[in-house]
Amino acid sequence: MSSQRTIHSRAIALWAFALAVPLLAGAAVFAVMGSDPLAAYSVMFQGAFGSWGRFSEVLVKASALSLTGLAVILAARMNLWNIGCEGQLVMGAVFATAAALHLGDTLPAALMLPCAALCGMAGGALWASGPAWLRSRLGVSEIITTLLLNYVAIALMEHLYFGIWRDPAGFGFPGTAMFAEAARLPRLAGTRVHPGLLAGIAGAILLAWALAKTRWGYELTVMGLGPKAASYAGMDAARRGLWVLMASGAIAGLAGMAEVTGIHYRLQQGVAVGYGYDGVIVACLARLHPALAPPAAIVLAAVLVGGEYLQTKMRLPSAASLVIEAALLLSLLWLQARKKR
Amino acid sequence: MSLNLELVNITKRFGPTLANDHVSITAHGGEIHALLGENGAGKSTLMSILSGRYQPDVGEIRLSGEPVRFTSPAHALARGVGMVHQRFMLVDAFTVAENVCLAAGGSPLLDLKAEAARIRELSDRFGLDADPDRPVHTLSMGERQRVEILKLLRLGARVLIFDEPTSVLTPTEIERFCQVLKTLRQEGRAIVFITHKLEEALELSDRISILRRGRLVAHTTPAEAGGKRNLARMMVGREVIFAIDKPAVEPGPEVLRLEGLTGGGDPARPAFSGVDLALRRGEVLAVVGVAGNGQTELAEALAGLAPLTAGSVSFEGARHEAKAWAAAPKDALAYVPEDRHHEGSVPELSMTHNYLLTRLSAFTRGLLLDWTGGAEATRKAIERFAIKAEGPHQPSGELSGGNLQKLLLARELSRLPSVLVVQQPTQGLDIGASEDVWKSLLEAREHAGVLLVTGDLTEALTLADRVAVIFAGRILGVADVSDPDQVARISPMMAGVRQ
Repeated sequence: MSSQRTIHSRAIALWAFALAVPLLAGAAVFAVMGSDPLAAYSVMFQGAFGSWGRFSEVLVKASALSLTGLAVILAARMNLWNIGCEGQLVMGAVFATAAALHLGDTLPAALMLPCAALCGMAGGALWASGPAWLRSRLGVSEIITTLLLNYVAIALMEHLYFGIWRDPAGFGFPGTAMFAEAARLPRLAGTRVHPGLLAGIAGAILLAWALAKTRWGYELTVMGLGPKAASYAGMDAARRGLWVLMASGAIAGLAGMAEVTGIHYRLQQGVAVGYGYDGVIVACLARLHPALAPPAAIVLAAVLVGGEYLQTKMRLPSAASLVIEAALLLSLLWLQARKKR
Repeated sequence: MSLNLELVNITKRFGPTLANDHVSITAHGGEIHALLGENGAGKSTLMSILSGRYQPDVGEIRLSGEPVRFTSPAHALARGVGMVHQRFMLVDAFTVAENVCLAAGGSPLLDLKAEAARIRELSDRFGLDADPDRPVHTLSMGERQRVEILKLLRLGARVLIFDEPTSVLTPTEIERFCQVLKTLRQEGRAIVFITHKLEEALELSDRISILRRGRLVAHTTPAEAGGKRNLARMMVGREVIFAIDKPAVEPGPEVLRLEGLTGGGDPARPAFSGVDLALRRGEVLAVVGVAGNGQTELAEALAGLAPLTAGSVSFEGARHEAKAWAAAPKDALAYVPEDRHHEGSVPELSMTHNYLLTRLSAFTRGLLLDWTGGAEATRKAIERFAIKAEGPHQPSGELSGGNLQKLLLARELSRLPSVLVVQQPTQGLDIGASEDVWKSLLEAREHAGVLLVTGDLTEALTLADRVAVIFAGRILGVADVSDPDQVARISPMMAGVRQ
């Protein structure tokens, strides 16, 4: 019993250390820039939680982060690392935009958003399909291919809103025309919080349930942890991996759809702000448990929103939050590597 | 000062487990010291301490009287204490000389010629018969082991530790290995070897130390040991029956027939070819051979996990051509793979998870898995097979090798197969667990024919009705166990000699 307790307190101490490292790293950055770290952190905290309006912005970011986090978790449970959520999110946004811009005349208004959501998911899945196919047929590392395709997706998106999709009435500003009302997600009164948040929570519950209760989830777990045992039991991991990576892309694509139909109402600069990459941090923070993805997303979103507030309030660069984020990822990876030993 | 290595009062604790409890042994130069014990008795921990991998919690190591503290295997080796692991630490693509250079370190520039000369000299002196220019992947297991010894000698080892040195060798190679050990002894080196094979300890060693549950229970010599039976009693702590009860089972109809079966490896160089075997219900057919002669691939191919290129498999009244076998229904064919830790199970997952691994269809309700039923079935298996475990929720990686093997057997037998293919079922298991596994395999004859792939001849002769010997991918002969003349031909056939 007492040894059990020592193990617990040890685990807690390790976690505390892993969380303290990024905070200290941030503090060091603040100190170097000549600010009081404690004051800076208190401003960050206020920025994230100081008012309902600010906290609602945390929820807005957490919506996208939950979804990209879940996308990473789903693939990672099979030991596939989807680093391409950024590109898949962008392609989801592009496909949803295509639906919003070109199907408005033909579709009944009530079907517009479901259709945009499906298009967004299809876009993300399509973007993941190449790496998925290469992985399952030829064993090409999905880490490299998904990562590289991010840049292609962003270039493609820019080409669209700088070029053929640019709003003729937009005074030369790069971006598409605003979406029609029917192609805009509803918002919680006075905030930018949209149903993407619910999608993230529902997705987390669904994935957690599927992993724990269904045969599909069992097989996924076995294929992820014991590839040899999986093939011994007759499971076709290559085939499943193909679908899982595409499903992962679809979830990221949905996040992209929610960004353009819920936040920007158009495709423009600011869609690709790193939610896809942050999804990896969310996944690590949630320790690959889908149910923990939304809370982990809120933690990370709070750091990001707090960092933005820091910029306006103390004129400190919001990049400080990126330092904290990076240090957080590194110390989480360190924690994981330690556990494996 | 004469060479000796003393372990004095060594105690090592891992969490709640006391792996070594005040153990003292001494290895003398010019002596072979056998360390006997069941799995989990603490032999490996003790040797890891001796070779510098672990630090003792309490106790001292003295090298020729002088206290030493080894901080790493490299440090121990620098002081002349080296270990040959059960799994050889060689780079397959490199030649012998390159492997030795790699271990020797030293100068940043390679001088393979000088190294080759040194290797030849050592090889002649100790009768190791090593060719410095041969790539390691072309060497037999026995030759690889001699390269490992060569590496240690090249680095000046005076105390050589061997972990289960004969487990991968053929009977002829074992004889060869004994010769090498005797030469090393003559040259004044101190030798410690870990084993759980009693005959080896009796034949080879000058002294025998027996560990049981972390404690040194006896210190003896082959002459004083009082025979194999007594030694086994000291090692296990109770009476051990060597001739296992093998009730006769009336052979039933033929359940599996292989004709001209060829496959495994790449199509141009099949791992086995022209295999003709037939198996009846109620019978144990052993396939014995030295590791790497195609038996693993044969078993895998039967389980549908390795490709077949020619021949046919008749199973459950249907004849399947080689290429169609992988896709043929095999619900009634159960397979227990050699790697029980990573192929037969997933160590991170619970016993229930692992029990369901090959039984998913029986426990699927629509989309859902019947976890309650699965846990219940696992609990019953734990009871019936006397598996030592906390319960179905315990990760299978925490089970000992023997208990894990029993879990896998329970799982596979619960499918009531008509053919059971098992590979190396007791490799690495202690005597007690081996007995249990053997009993289960004999019980399985009630409804199945058992194809036993093993490198352990004793096991084959204990269980099997017939023994097929595989060499270089071909079945050289099938011996009837009840005929001593035929049994006598098995060993030479394992080395490739057909009579």
